[in-house]
Amino acid sequence: MSSLTLSGIKKRFGKVDVIRGVDLEVEDGEFVVFVGPSGCGKSTLLRMIAGLEDITSGELRIGERVMNEVQPARRGVAMVFQSYALYPHLTVRDNMGFGLKVRGVKPEERASRIAAAAAILKLDALLERFPRELSGGQRQRVAIGRAIVGEPDVFLFDEPLSNLDAELRVHMRSEIAALHQRLGNTMIYVTHDQIEAMTLADKIVVLRDGIVEQVGTPHELYRRPRNLFVAQFIGSPKMNVVPLADVELPPGLVAPANAVSIGMRPEHLAITNPGSGIVSGRVAIAEYTGASSLLHVELDSGAICLVVHQGDEPQAGKRIDLRIDTGNLHSFGADGTACGPPTGHPRS
Amino acid sequence: MGQPATMAARAQRNDAPWLTLKMREAMEAWLFLSPTLAGFLIFFVAPLVAVLGYSLTEWNLLSQQATFVGLANYDDALMRNADFWHVARNSAVFALGLVPLNMALALLLALALSGRFRGVVVFRTIFFAPVVTSAAAWAIVWKFQLQGEAGFINQVLAGIGITGPNWLREPNWAMAAVIVTRVIKMVGLNMILYIAALQAIPRDYDAAARLEGASGLQIFRMITWPLLGPTTLVIMVITTIGSFKVFDHIYLMTGGGPENGTLVLAFYIYQQGFEFFNVGYASALAMIMFVIVMALTVVQLALRRKDT
Ligand SMILES: Nc1ncnc2c1ncn2[C@@H]1O[C@H](COP(=O)(O)OP(=O)(O)OP(=O)(O)O)[C@@H](O)[C@H]1O
Ligand SMILES: [Mg+2]
Repeated sequence: MSSLTLSGIKKRFGKVDVIRGVDLEVEDGEFVVFVGPSGCGKSTLLRMIAGLEDITSGELRIGERVMNEVQPARRGVAMVFQSYALYPHLTVRDNMGFGLKVRGVKPEERASRIAAAAAILKLDALLERFPRELSGGQRQRVAIGRAIVGEPDVFLFDEPLSNLDAELRVHMRSEIAALHQRLGNTMIYVTHDQIEAMTLADKIVVLRDGIVEQVGTPHELYRRPRNLFVAQFIGSPKMNVVPLADVELPPGLVAPANAVSIGMRPEHLAITNPGSGIVSGRVAIAEYTGASSLLHVELDSGAICLVVHQGDEPQAGKRIDLRIDTGNLHSFGADGTACGPPTGHPRS
Repeated sequence: MGQPATMAARAQRNDAPWLTLKMREAMEAWLFLSPTLAGFLIFFVAPLVAVLGYSLTEWNLLSQQATFVGLANYDDALMRNADFWHVARNSAVFALGLVPLNMALALLLALALSGRFRGVVVFRTIFFAPVVTSAAAWAIVWKFQLQGEAGFINQVLAGIGITGPNWLREPNWAMAAVIVTRVIKMVGLNMILYIAALQAIPRDYDAAARLEGASGLQIFRMITWPLLGPTTLVIMVITTIGSFKVFDHIYLMTGGGPENGTLVLAFYIYQQGFEFFNVGYASALAMIMFVIVMALTVVQLALRRKDT
C-alpha cells in the first residue's frame, strides 16, 4: 500500500499541452476520483501514473520512490481499462493469470491466487469461459480480478463502468466501493460521471483542460465549490447561476462586493408565498420524474432557473416565487471564482 | 401529398399477392447472387468440367482429333512418366521455400511498419510497389541482375570479396533465385494484410500486458501471434495457392531450366498443352494440380480449426 505524490506534472503531445501542471497528494488507502469533462486529460494523467505515457515534466512518487523512469510493471500499480482489455483468445482463468505467468509465478501459487480473486468477485463458475461468452458486468469483474491477482499497491480505474447499462453501473459501483473497503488499497478512479465521483470518493479531483480546478471531499465540493466550473459540474441537476441583479436578497443580507452572480442549487429552492421569494418567475415546463418534479422557471429577466419540487407540480404558466435557505447561497465574481456566501443578518 | 403515397403502398401490396414474404426474400436473395453465380458457373465450373472431359481423351491440338482414353493420361502422369514427379518435387520445393520466407518477411515488415512514425507510408509504399509492378518487367530486370559475372548482384558480392555463383545457370541456385525474387515481389501484399491485422488489435491489450510485466517478446508470443491466427491462415492459404500457380515469373527468368531445375507444375502444364499440344495430358495434369491445391487448402483449414 502506498501514498502518491504528483508535483508539477505536465504532459505535452507534440505541440499540445494536455496536462498543464498538476500537484496532488494521495494518501495511503485513499479512494481518489478524477472527474472532469471529456478530453480534460483524466485518462492521460492516469496513464502517466501507470507509466503507459511518459511524464514530460514534474515528479511522480509512489510511496517514497520517484517513479518517473520506472517501468510500468515495477510501479506496483494495476489498471482496469474502460475497454476491459481482456485477451479474447484466453479463458477467464488465463486472463487473470497472465500477469503472474509472465512474472514467473509458480503454477500452484498462480492457481491459488486466481481462486482467491475469483472468490472475491464471484467468478468461480466462469473461469473456463472466454471473454466473448461473458456479459458486460462479468467482463468488468474479470478485468478487476486480473488487477487483484497481481496484488498491486495502487489500483487505477479508467472509466470502468461506462460501458455498462444504468442499473448494472449502480450495482458495480457498490461492488467497487465494497472492494475498496475489503482490500483497503489506494485507488484512483477516473470518471466523467459526477454521481459516481460523489458516491465513491474519499477525495475528488476536478480537472478541466489539464488543470486541477479543485480538490476536496464530496461534501466540500458540493458545499463550497471554488469556482463556477466546479459549482456547475458537481451536483445534478446543475446549479443555477443568475445575475446578481435578478436576485432579491432577503433584507439585511449583502452579497460580497465583487460578486456578479448568485448560485442556487435546484434542490435547495422551494416555492414560497408571492412577494417573499428571492427570485420569481413563470413555470415554463414541469417535468414529472416520480419522486419529484423538475420545474423550469423562467425569471423575469429571461434566465431559466431549475427547481427540484416535491409534491404536486404547479401548472405551466403559473407565476411562482422561490425561496432558499441563505446558507445555501453561493456567489461568484466576474472571473468565475467563488467569493463566499452573502453575509449579514437577515431580519426575519 | 398523401394520396400518391397510399397508392404506391397499395400497389406494392397487390403486386403478386400469391407470394409469401419468405418466397419474396428468397427471390431477392437469388437475384442479388445471380451475377456472381453466373460468373462462377461460366468461368470456373464450366472450364473445370471441360478440362475434366479433355483429361479423359487423347487430343492433339494439331490433328484436331480427340479419342477417349479413360484414365490413361492420369496413369501416364502418376505412374509412368518420371517428369511429373520431378516437376511436382520442384513445385513442392518452390512452395516450401517461398511460403515460409514470404510469411516471415511479411510479418517482420508489418511489425516494423504497423506503427505511426515519420516516413512510415514511404516505407510501406516501397515494399508494396513490386506487387503492382508488371511480373514480366520484374522477371526480366532480375534476370539481368543475376547474370553470371556482369550481373549487379555478383558485382556487389565481388566488391566484398565473394565470388557469386552463376545464379540462373545452376539448378539449385536458380531455384533459390526464383524463390527469393518472387518473395521480394509479392511480400508487400502479405505485409499489408498483416499490417491491417496488427492495427486491428486494440492498443489496450499491449498496455495491459506491459503493465502486467510482459516483455515485448512475451507480448508477441502470447498475445499478438495468437490474435494474428486467422490472418496467418488466410495468408498461408493464398500464398500456397499462389506459389503453385507461378508461371510467368519462372518462364521469363529461367524458362524452367537449367536442366529442368525450375520446371514447376504450372509451367509443365503450359509446356505440355501449348508447346507440345498434348491437350489431354495437360488437362490431366491440371486436374491433378487442382486436387493438390484443394487438398492443401483443406488441410490448412482443418489444422487451424483444431488449434482453436
Ligand atoms: N496519444 C495522443 N496524442 C495526441 N493527443 C492526445 C493523445 N492522447 C490524448 N490526447 C489528447 O489529450 C487530451 C486529453 O485526453 P484524455 O484521453 O486524457 O481525456 P479524458 O479526460 O480521458 O477524456 P474522456 O472522458 O473522453 O475519456 C485530449 O484532447 C486528447 O485529444
Ligand atoms: Mg478517458
